Amino acid sequence: MPQGDYIEEFRRRFGERPDQREKERKRRAREPHKVAVRSKELRGLKAKIFHRERFKEKIRLRKEERALKLKDAVAKKNDTGEDRLKNAIPAYLLDREDSVRAKALTNTIKQKRKEKGGKWDVPLPKVRPLPDDEVFRVIKTGKKAKQKEWKRMVTKVTFVGDGFTRRPPKYERFIRPMALRMRRANVTHPELNVTFSLEILGVKKNPSSPLYSQLGVITRGTIIEVNVSELGLVTTSGRVVWGKYAQVTNQPELDGTINAVMLV
Amino acid sequence: MTVGGLKHIQVVPEALDLIDIVLSQTQRKTPTVVHPGYAITRIRTFYIRKVRYAQSCFHERLTKILSDFPILEELHPFYADILNVLYDRDHYKLALGQVSRIRSLVDSFARDYVRQLKYADSLYRAKCLKRAALGRMCTTVKHLRPALAYLEQVRQHMARLPSIDPMTRTLLIAGYPNVGKSSFLNCVTNAKVDVQPYAFTTKSLFVGHMDYQYLRWQVIDTPGLLDHALDERNTIEMQSITALAHLQAAILFFVDPSETCGYAIAQQLALLRSLQPLFADKPLFVVCNKTDLGWEQQLDPATWTAIRETAEQVGAELMTASTMGDDGYASVFAVRNRACERLLALRVSLKVSGRQTDSVLNRLHVAEPKLVRTPQIPASVLERRQALRDADDALNQNTAPELACTLSTSRAGRKTERELERDHGGAGVYSMDWRKHYDLTDPAWRYDYIPEIVDGKNIADYVDPEIHQRLLALEQEETMRQSMLSDAVGDEPRADVPVDQPSDTDVALIREKARNQRRLRQQQAARDRTQRPKLSRKALLKVRKTSQAVAKRPWGRAVDPSTTKQQTRKAAHSAPVVYRTRAVSDQSLVPAGLRDVVQARHAQKLVQRTLRRAFSGREHRQGESDRFIGTRKPHHLFAGKMSLGTRSHR
Repeated sequence: MPQGDYIEEFRRRFGERPDQREKERKRRAREPHKVAVRSKELRGLKAKIFHRERFKEKIRLRKEERALKLKDAVAKKNDTGEDRLKNAIPAYLLDREDSVRAKALTNTIKQKRKEKGGKWDVPLPKVRPLPDDEVFRVIKTGKKAKQKEWKRMVTKVTFVGDGFTRRPPKYERFIRPMALRMRRANVTHPELNVTFSLEILGVKKNPSSPLYSQLGVITRGTIIEVNVSELGLVTTSGRVVWGKYAQVTNQPELDGTINAVMLV
Repeated sequence: MTVGGLKHIQVVPEALDLIDIVLSQTQRKTPTVVHPGYAITRIRTFYIRKVRYAQSCFHERLTKILSDFPILEELHPFYADILNVLYDRDHYKLALGQVSRIRSLVDSFARDYVRQLKYADSLYRAKCLKRAALGRMCTTVKHLRPALAYLEQVRQHMARLPSIDPMTRTLLIAGYPNVGKSSFLNCVTNAKVDVQPYAFTTKSLFVGHMDYQYLRWQVIDTPGLLDHALDERNTIEMQSITALAHLQAAILFFVDPSETCGYAIAQQLALLRSLQPLFADKPLFVVCNKTDLGWEQQLDPATWTAIRETAEQVGAELMTASTMGDDGYASVFAVRNRACERLLALRVSLKVSGRQTDSVLNRLHVAEPKLVRTPQIPASVLERRQALRDADDALNQNTAPELACTLSTSRAGRKTERELERDHGGAGVYSMDWRKHYDLTDPAWRYDYIPEIVDGKNIADYVDPEIHQRLLALEQEETMRQSMLSDAVGDEPRADVPVDQPSDTDVALIREKARNQRRLRQQQAARDRTQRPKLSRKALLKVRKTSQAVAKRPWGRAVDPSTTKQQTRKAAHSAPVVYRTRAVSDQSLVPAGLRDVVQARHAQKLVQRTLRRAFSGREHRQGESDRFIGTRKPHHLFAGKMSLGTRSHR
């Protein structure tokens, strides 16, 4: 006990207050009332936080209760022994598992069909088409050519490769702002259920328009190629895979990050 | 660095609490209303502000933590080592490093998202970006949970560490467990350390303070040490080792030769030898404790020599002590005093030999008087002292010592109060005579009774300290007057003037006095008049007019117009007397600022009426100032619609 533990020191010397137990009991008894008052009186953000916590707590309690009840019920059932009797099969019927086996067969067939279809599928088969006026903003530059207004700025997240050099401003039609250029994506491996932050190698296809693919615009549903050399994936022939395709699942312009699912 | 730095660290919030704090602060301290119709730049700045604010909040909080916790390299090595022993230096540094890392992450997130927000083209997009930014900040801060919990624990523990000043005069108590270290501390200081008859009662460093030679000393009690290798020592023992290693103190190594502590004397001496490197350049004492158990008689001479030899070997001074108080703590204080003296001498010699002292010594000059001035004691006093001394010697030779005490009273000539008390039944029985030595003119007055109340009056109210002088002055005046009277009359009294009648000179004197008094009064009145309430010019004119009108009448009296007729009739019968004084006295009844009695009466009536109205039905009120308002917001004034023209009440 360190020297500064004055509360323990006090208790050691003089003991507890005579009414300590009673006080604690009362405090415990009052607690629900206090919570009730708080829940009534709180307003605004505080109320939101409070109720979210309370809601979670209630769910937890209810789950515990249910689990307890289930446990009790199971124990009860097992105690009676009726369950065993009901499922008991006479000796002459013991071999017959036909129905079960049939069900399993159909299941496997279904699974196979699904897998076959899955080969051509991507996680997001349908995406909303993006019109040009949403993706590009007209930029007014220059003096004399004002009427034309032919420069465009991409308002979505883009990927710009390492070797890119800007064209001279006169010939530069599309501007991809630095703030919206991204180099990494959070890619989830669907089978391993793990997520990696991987470097983007390029934009394979933007479903909305080939122009977008060319510009490297990354929107929801875009297929991107990512560098997986860090993961150490190996092909069947034993070669290290370093590029893999992934489909973007979020709206990067709203989230500020790119989330994608790897296509396996 | 002082110890204060360790004690005043702000509470470290839990990670989730920190997030709640920052988010609600952001919500409270930034604007909350935005509409899609606003100009897009306005929307962008609205959300950028929120992101920036949250970032700065996080940054501030985390920076506060980083700056509060001490950097181990900057602490005194004693504290650095203690913190290392208690909280593990690596863990501590990692936790702080993590906080710093998260801080920079939060900053970079904010930078990134603010850049993106500048390209937001709709309210929805800006809002989503803000949400993502705050979300990412919170998620990273959530990862700080274990680090912050650890830091909070460290903070609490640090606040409760004893305040040890590593630079001051210190006695350090060390030794095997249960040899009486804590008892020693309790003896010499005011500390109340737990003392129990089992090993390792003391689990951390304890500090007590004491005074010796008008200096403040700190005494540190350390947990018990066992004799094994340094890397086998646990946290409790390591605290002792740290204190021994880093504090420049006098070390009292306690040994229990009676072996009631449960460890053989050989083991204890082995520990002493193994700790020798830590004792370099420090005054060291081996204190053989628990002499009250009588081991000194039973101790094997071989053991005793072993103890002595070991002490010599490590360069320690050997002392014995008993902390049970059977020798009135003499041995304990002997140990303490010896240790203090040696440490003080060492510290002084170190200071003198230090480089700093040279510059000071050069400038020092100690002036010493050439003449030695001895105190001047009168010869009579010296004689008296000598006589007393002689008498004392004679008594001591002749009588038994217990009698000397009683007899010594007679030689002094008078009994002291203490002796009187002893003779008359001791304390509580004898009550001291306070009046015996009252310093009064006549000693016979000493026991006079002084009543408190006489004729129902407290005489303290009438006490006049100079009453004697006054009486004397009065008597003197009387004699003077009588002599004056006799002078004026001559030696023989005149037949036509009775003795009671005042003489001419007397009258003259009295008149003179009266004149003086009148003049004084007038001056006073003149002074007062300037401060009196005045009538306004208009009112004054009116008053003058009426008084003039009255003066024109033959009887010249100020009258109430209602009663004029009656009074004129009455006055016709009576003699024409000018009631001037009466009119003036009537005027004086009128309060200042009012014209006449009628107006005054009217004013009084008005006051009464308002009071009656104000108080009607509320007689229980305290007074005029009790301004109770029953209903703060009367319903009829606040309910209903409030369009134009519906409010007739205001």
